[in-house]
Amino acid sequence: MPPRTTHADRGLAAPTEVKGTPSMNLTRVAMVSAVLALLSHAAYGQGTPRPKDAELYFISPEDGATVTGTFKVRFGLSKMGVTHGGDAYPNSGHHHLLIDVDQLPDPGEPIPLDKSHLHFGAGETETDLDLPPGEHTLQLELGDANHFPFDPPVVSKRITVTVRAKYTERRRSRHKRLHEPYVNGPNANGWDWNRPQR
Amino acid sequence: MDSVRVALMSAMLTLLAFRADAQGTPSPPDASLYFISPSDGATIKGPFWCRFGLRNMGVTHAGDDYPNSGHHHLLIDVDEPLEPTEPIPHDRRHHHFAAGQTEALIELAPGKHTLQLVLGDANHFPFKPPVISKKITVLIVAECPEASSPGDRECNAAAHDPRRSRVGGAH
Repeated sequence: MPPRTTHADRGLAAPTEVKGTPSMNLTRVAMVSAVLALLSHAAYGQGTPRPKDAELYFISPEDGATVTGTFKVRFGLSKMGVTHGGDAYPNSGHHHLLIDVDQLPDPGEPIPLDKSHLHFGAGETETDLDLPPGEHTLQLELGDANHFPFDPPVVSKRITVTVRAKYTERRRSRHKRLHEPYVNGPNANGWDWNRPQR
Repeated sequence: MDSVRVALMSAMLTLLAFRADAQGTPSPPDASLYFISPSDGATIKGPFWCRFGLRNMGVTHAGDDYPNSGHHHLLIDVDEPLEPTEPIPHDRRHHHFAAGQTEALIELAPGKHTLQLVLGDANHFPFKPPVISKKITVLIVAECPEASSPGDRECNAAAHDPRRSRVGGAH
């Protein structure tokens, strides 16, 4: 089995350490055993069961939609609850948004933490997304307390959205194309800034 | 064992103090709660999906005091103003979504009804300032009117479900 990533590996705050005075030996033993129990629980976090009829889907945008500039993405979840990362409350998890990801994350590994796998570890149910113009795919996956996929995974349909640049951006690029000096020849208007002026 | 007992007592005391504090759980100033569906003034036939939208805060289950998060409460036909210092009542008109649900299938008798969302903290108290949605009105009908205005599109709840069809995804 590959080594599990720790909180520190993933750039997250480490769980608070337990400290006690020497006179609190008994308490300390109790706390250590509690921590150990938690740890062993975490190790089994990979096969977290889910309700059979749980469903993850996009409330918005629609599949095939064309959006302009920054757009809202709303996460829909049926027959399960939302909670924050690190919380092992039964039948609940937190959302992950996969952007332009073709292959679902390995169910035996935590969902990666990078630019194309956004984590909503505070229990968020929507976000504002700003993607470069062009066609993109979006997919939702629910993660358990330790960011592992459920067994079987709770994933949404993969949808496609076409992002169109903001109006101001479109104007700016058009202005650039038509009016900015072009070093190696004429611009789209036929104007050559390097041509000797009479 | 005295030290253990003292530790236990102090733990209980801190818990008690925390419970008393829980009434004024602060909410971020830009938090907002709203209905994704249905829309205000909608005419709906049969049971409908009610989806809860929450911006700049997170959802969690009841009893969890994770910062900037709470759980949804749906108030149906409630006219009394919300008591900020009392826990949100638990009855047929105040629905608690204590497991962190973000949607519900609601069936109401034909007629006009009002819906409102309130976010509750770990102990079911409203936040300070309270995170409340606009109060919306829906008209439940036995038969949908002829499709004439844009609002009628969502009359049939099945057609409004983004999981089942491409109609109705809110932007």
